[in-house]
Amino acid sequence: MDSTARLIKQVTALLAAALAMTASGIAGAVPKPESGMGLPRDVSEHGHHIDWLIEVTMVFVVILFVIMVIWMVWACFAHDEKHAAEYDHGDSKHSVKTALALSAVIFFVVDGNLFYNSTTDTFRLFWNHDALETDAKAVRIEVNAHQWAWDARYAGPDGKFNTKDDVITLNDIRVPVGAPVLLQLVSPDVIHSFYLPNLRVKQDAMPGMTNRLWFQAKETGDFDIGCAQHCGVHHYKMKGMLTVLPPDEFKNWLNEQSAIATRGYDPKDTEAHWGWEWRARN
Amino acid sequence: MGAIVPYPPPRARQEWTAYLGMVIFLGSWAMMFGSLFFAYGMVRARATAWPPPDLPELPLALPGVNTAVLAASSVMLQLAVRWLRVGKTRWVGPGLAASLALGTLFLCLQMVTWRRLLDEGLTPSGGPYPSVFYALTCFHALHVLVGIGALAWLCRGAFVGKYSAARFLPVRLWAMYWHFVGAVWGVMFVTVYVV
Amino acid sequence: MELQHIHPEPTSFLRKHLFSTDHKVIAKQFLWAGLLFLAFGGGLAMLIRWQWAFPGEPVPVVGSMLFQQSGGAITPAHYNTIFTMHGLIMIFFAITPIMIGAFGNFCIPLMIGARDMAFPLLNMLSFWTFLVSQGLIIASFFVQLGSAAAGWTTYAPLSTNVGTPGAGQTLVVAAVFVTGVATIMGGINYVTTVVRLRAPGMTYMRMPATVWGLWLTAILNVLFVPVLGSAALLLLLDRSFGTQFYIAGSSAVRGGGDPILFQHLFWIFGHPEVYILILPPWGFVTDLVSFFARKPAYWYKGSVMAMTGVTVLSAVVYGHHMFVTGMNPLLGQSFMTLTLIISVPAELLFLNWLHTIWKGSIRLTAPMLFALGTVFVFGLGGLTGLFLGTISTDLYLHDTMFVVGHFHLTMAAAAFLASFAAIYFWFPKMFGRNMNQTLAKWHFWFSVIFITLVFCGQLVAGYGGHQRRLYDPYQYTFLQHMQPLNRWTSYFGFILAASQVTFVVNWFQSIFAGSKAEQNPWEIGTLEWTVPSPPVHHNFDVIPTVHRGPHEYANPEVKKALGRDWIGQSEELPKSGKAPAEPAAAAS
Ligand code: HEA
Ligand code: HEA
Ligand code: CUA
Ligand SMILES: [Cu+2]
Repeated sequence: MDSTARLIKQVTALLAAALAMTASGIAGAVPKPESGMGLPRDVSEHGHHIDWLIEVTMVFVVILFVIMVIWMVWACFAHDEKHAAEYDHGDSKHSVKTALALSAVIFFVVDGNLFYNSTTDTFRLFWNHDALETDAKAVRIEVNAHQWAWDARYAGPDGKFNTKDDVITLNDIRVPVGAPVLLQLVSPDVIHSFYLPNLRVKQDAMPGMTNRLWFQAKETGDFDIGCAQHCGVHHYKMKGMLTVLPPDEFKNWLNEQSAIATRGYDPKDTEAHWGWEWRARN
Repeated sequence: MGAIVPYPPPRARQEWTAYLGMVIFLGSWAMMFGSLFFAYGMVRARATAWPPPDLPELPLALPGVNTAVLAASSVMLQLAVRWLRVGKTRWVGPGLAASLALGTLFLCLQMVTWRRLLDEGLTPSGGPYPSVFYALTCFHALHVLVGIGALAWLCRGAFVGKYSAARFLPVRLWAMYWHFVGAVWGVMFVTVYVV
Repeated sequence: MELQHIHPEPTSFLRKHLFSTDHKVIAKQFLWAGLLFLAFGGGLAMLIRWQWAFPGEPVPVVGSMLFQQSGGAITPAHYNTIFTMHGLIMIFFAITPIMIGAFGNFCIPLMIGARDMAFPLLNMLSFWTFLVSQGLIIASFFVQLGSAAAGWTTYAPLSTNVGTPGAGQTLVVAAVFVTGVATIMGGINYVTTVVRLRAPGMTYMRMPATVWGLWLTAILNVLFVPVLGSAALLLLLDRSFGTQFYIAGSSAVRGGGDPILFQHLFWIFGHPEVYILILPPWGFVTDLVSFFARKPAYWYKGSVMAMTGVTVLSAVVYGHHMFVTGMNPLLGQSFMTLTLIISVPAELLFLNWLHTIWKGSIRLTAPMLFALGTVFVFGLGGLTGLFLGTISTDLYLHDTMFVVGHFHLTMAAAAFLASFAAIYFWFPKMFGRNMNQTLAKWHFWFSVIFITLVFCGQLVAGYGGHQRRLYDPYQYTFLQHMQPLNRWTSYFGFILAASQVTFVVNWFQSIFAGSKAEQNPWEIGTLEWTVPSPPVHHNFDVIPTVHRGPHEYANPEVKKALGRDWIGQSEELPKSGKAPAEPAAAAS
């Protein structure tokens, strides 16, 4: 039991080491491959809350499972056919109390921990979009997920969406490091799911709805954007790249792109006007 | 091994079994219709205007009359069951026939409603509003059709004297079904046409 | 509907073996139909595993036949059809008919002391309706554009004509509807039979846990399959008549139908469905661990209450499949809370099983091994459910292979092993012949080891963030290092499939040439073992009177009176302590 906990710690430590190693050599043109059998490296400000909860629960679960297996194997050997069975219906007050108490303990420790931490993390962080709507630092991006690509739109210097100076990209989302990024997600065809494995977030893009998602990167580099919801033949190819840039680099890029976009703006190209006015609240 | 002992349960016992089967079936089917109503509710909840201004409105008068027709059909059927139980066997055939006729009338009036709405331009593919309307009413009409078939069959049986106070189970079971179909219509009338 | 009368046994071949209303014959029909589709679904699983081990490479042996246009390699479109149909076939057309169709039919009347189901004719119709749905499934593979490809969950709008045109998807949705009707027919029958036809003395708290599991399953089926039915119905209308239930208007403007509606309807059914697939195994396991530990089931009443509790709760947790759809946060929170609560009854069941085998006198027969294997894999699978049940962790794990690993361990592995536990246990009663125990044990060890390895491989991949339903996972940089893992998982899968030969051989050999089975080879006290193997057409010459619960083992009084460690449910315990002159029904 103890040794399993230790094992898990070791694996986690190994992971951390792998993480540090890969983190030292960032800023290639393609995402760095992962290694090892654990969670992919976490480059988000808040992902460690999820990782911690997963890992702690993993320890609990492994302990329970090991107890269960030992119990079963032990019983099979110690109480085989040579052992005389005990006549016990297990419905005495004492037995019932034991059974209930044991389940209650498991419930309050394992599920209770999950419940408490998930609730606080979810409402304080991951689903707390409202706090970001008012955050001036937050970078806003509109994402149009469609078969089979991610279109992204930045408001440009005027701060308004669906205007001349919008920056529109394809499968290429760039964000500044250290600033919260707020996305509004839509889909014109089928359901997709915007998934950043290295930032531990995921949100469906639903036709007919505007969904929100936010994250904050703490490291620069290139990371995969995946589609997590089956969306047709080329679901597997619906891949984008998230590039986390130093803030000034991001600013330069945005301004540059905006200038190009303004120059090339074509009012008749209605296809390109898929954006919408930012929706403060659903 | 001893002799084979039959275990003929009392009649009441068998009837209970059959009723229970029917009740479970109707409960199950209620879940089916319930889900359709749930779908209706969700689709309606997200619509900005209901009914959409550019579509013809559903009539109230004809379906209202139709509700009365179906209710009357149920009443006739229930009377037939009662007559059967108290031994007025002679009345059963006409009672069932009346119920059958009213059920058929319901379906005819329903077809008139559809026809008119189609002429006015309310087609099933015209958006969620007509989708709900046609899906719910047609699915219900299908159940009415089954009921009509059953009533016709019962009617034939009654006129050849198949049923009596001692043998009225089929009539009783189909009556349960028919009341259910009527009740579903009641809910449908209120939710789809009225509100 | 002369329920407990004795129908004369039909004499014509057709009425006896094909259009039979005898629950025992129908059970065998379901078993065959289910096993054949299990092999079909298993074959499709092998194609999935091939693709992930060797993406885009021609499939050996069968590839040139199945995928002619692409030179024997699986294409993305094929791949979508393969996993969709694998999921649907396994759930609706393999495991459901085996556990519920076959063992529900076989066990319920025999174990409660009835001569047949309450509505034998309905029972027969249920099987033939089911067969029609299987026919539709097969037909769907031969139409243009092939079979369904929108995932087993059939999410709209992908499953509407917008995402999946072609008759194949329509046929499959129709097949799901039809099999739903068959299931409801069966469900009505099972529920009524248990309520009405229990033998005298067979109170609810004396019913074998198997019957409890099957009965609760039937209740869930009757209540929730209709919801799937209406979801499928509306989808068919959207596909064929242009209605707009699931097709949303353009994204920027709200309006039109609602894709979320489908998910609500699907999961209102879908979550109870997963318990539909686990309640019968729970029942089997509760009985089998007691039978073969030769010890009463520990706190039987608690197990029954736990199963009932899960049945009730299963209706109100479905939202945990929809955490990332943009659900209202408070709603999400409620579903999360309920999901965590549903793990309590499961924990109770586990404790009861573990306590049952503790201090028993365990006989590791094939059914017992499979029952313990079920506990093992279900424990693993159930515990992984916890990670998915909480919102913040599910944000990362949703739609990854972790979910796939979770449900294969709970559903595929547990239901798969439990089905075999049931087959090995009741085979002698069903067919009147014994199965080869050595082969059965080989089958067990191969199955349990490799099924665990395969599905743990899925879990590990999912832990690393591997999405599900990817034709070629290695498109993603962050998944490239998983190729060796996936390849190993695939090898384990191939071994698992190959090792099923031990079962197939045993099955055919035993059916045609097995040694004749005794009436009560396992020395078990439930009612089905008081009749010959196979039972006569009307099951019981005399409807038995039940005196006690199903798990009366190691009772010292019985030992003193009868000299054995078990006593039948309908057997009378002699007062004086002498052995009775003629043991009532049990030992004839
Ligand atoms: C038989 C089928 C089955 C069963 C029984 C379960 C059981 C459970 N499932 Fe699972 N589930 C599925 C089949 C099943 N599931 C399927 C098919 C899907 C995915 C469908 C799809 O998307 O395609 C799914 C998906 C799924 C999700 C959605 C994930 C996602 O898509 O993001 C969630 C989330 O909450 C979940 C949770 C649970 C929970 C909490 C249980 C609980 O009931 C588990 C309870 C059990 C335990 C808690 C273990 C018992 C305790 C022990 C072993 C300890 C014993 C030790 C000692 C006593 C010492 N399941
Ligand atoms: C109960 C249901 C069940 C069962 C038993 C299985 C069994 C298996 N499943 Fe499956 N699976 C699903 C239900 C099931 N699965 C579902 C619902 C999905 C999701 C689909 C979706 O995403 O839409 C899925 C998806 C799924 C995937 C993910 C695909 C993807 O996301 O892209 C994978 C990948 O490894 C997989 C693998 C396997 C394997 C290796 C087995 C093996 O265990 C199979 C081994 C079995 C055999 C090889 C058959 C042996 C045959 C016999 C014993 C019969 C003998 C016959 C006679 C005597 C006549 N399954
Ligand atoms: Cu988009 Cu999958
Ligand atoms: Cu669920």
